[in-house]
Amino acid sequence: MSPAADATSPEYNALAGEYVLGLLEGQERDAAEHRLEQDSAFATAVERWRRHFAALDATATPITPPADLWSRIEAGIAGLIQPAASAATLRPATAGPGRLAEWWNSLFVWRGAAFAGALATILLAVGLVGALDRAKRQPLMVAVLLTDSNAAAAVVHTFADGRVEMLPLQSIDVPAGKALEIWTLWDRAVGPRSVGLIDRARSTPLRLDNLPLGKDQLFEITLEPATGSPTGRPTGPIIAKGTTSQRL
Amino acid sequence: MATDATQPRQAGEIETALLACAAGDKSALKRIYEVESPRMLGVAQRLLKRRALAEEAVQDAFVLVWRHAARFDPERGAGLTWIYAILRNRSLSILRDEKRTETSDTPIAEETASEEDDPETVMSKLSDATALRACLEMLPPQRRGLVLLAFVQGLTHGEIAGRLKLPLGTVKSWIRRSLLSLKECLG
Repeated sequence: MSPAADATSPEYNALAGEYVLGLLEGQERDAAEHRLEQDSAFATAVERWRRHFAALDATATPITPPADLWSRIEAGIAGLIQPAASAATLRPATAGPGRLAEWWNSLFVWRGAAFAGALATILLAVGLVGALDRAKRQPLMVAVLLTDSNAAAAVVHTFADGRVEMLPLQSIDVPAGKALEIWTLWDRAVGPRSVGLIDRARSTPLRLDNLPLGKDQLFEITLEPATGSPTGRPTGPIIAKGTTSQRL
Repeated sequence: MATDATQPRQAGEIETALLACAAGDKSALKRIYEVESPRMLGVAQRLLKRRALAEEAVQDAFVLVWRHAARFDPERGAGLTWIYAILRNRSLSILRDEKRTETSDTPIAEETASEEDDPETVMSKLSDATALRACLEMLPPQRRGLVLLAFVQGLTHGEIAGRLKLPLGTVKSWIRRSLLSLKECLG
């Protein structure tokens, strides 16, 4: 659908509506965000839709946040390089158009920070690789399995002789009657395959046997019944996941 | 705007708090958190279905609100709208990222949404006072359902088509036409 150029046309307004509904993807979304920054009529149309649809957000059932959520936010704020206070003094309260788009763009900055965290964990993993090197056991590939909060929970190493092992980096709470099951996915069409089951976070060899093993292959740990997933597919919550990268 | 009937009681308070955040007053952010976080978590939960992801979205949203409070401009829009736009954008990013790397057999989009989140239930919870409700009611139920699935559950055109077994082109044109009718009705 070609973006309507005329700011007063209904099609143009509908495009703003689709953006607010979250229906634009890829290039269309990029174009809408650019327009939001450049075109105040479009920004007004977006704000109107947001205000109307806010009534729908008001219907969400409130959920009491966990006690530690505020401290997690404080920790997130503390990690910022530039305090907001100094930004405030530099910026006039009513700058020109483009702030909405700016904060959006800065999401990427924010995500960049998350990636930097992930990179740090990879470097950490590479450090571990170095330690193993002393024993002449250089892995071919490494996968760092990250939790939802981007904490490194485990690494998976693959070796030239076909061995694959998982090393935990932090303890994982496993409730009674449950176990940690490790999965790998190389092809969505085939689906994930179980390659290990452990009662608690500990180093373990993974049984890949004749399964394919390559770069960007996904490994993940889920919480399953003590005897393993009853369906042969992951059923429980994902504890951590990550994809393999080639060692330099 | 007359239809901003969500929380009239707090009109002004959020804007004041955001300006205080911009000046570096963390207690102002805490005030917003205390008032809004339960509903924000509810909104994120409807989009992301998994509690851990919903919490992550709310956490990120508050950090972003703090970081960008100086860019909030009351002339351009309401404070709550601004905060929820940040939350929704962050939630949708997580949702789309998550779908890309998921190995679980139940992708988030297909994970059973709570019955509370189904379009007609959401409709019934919409305040009578809102123009949106009156205008949605003028649409045929199935078409209004498409709009609600997109906004409330964050489904894409393709996911809606799959879920309702409708051709993709039909879904796109129905949503677009629904938006045109809504715009006409909302004025």
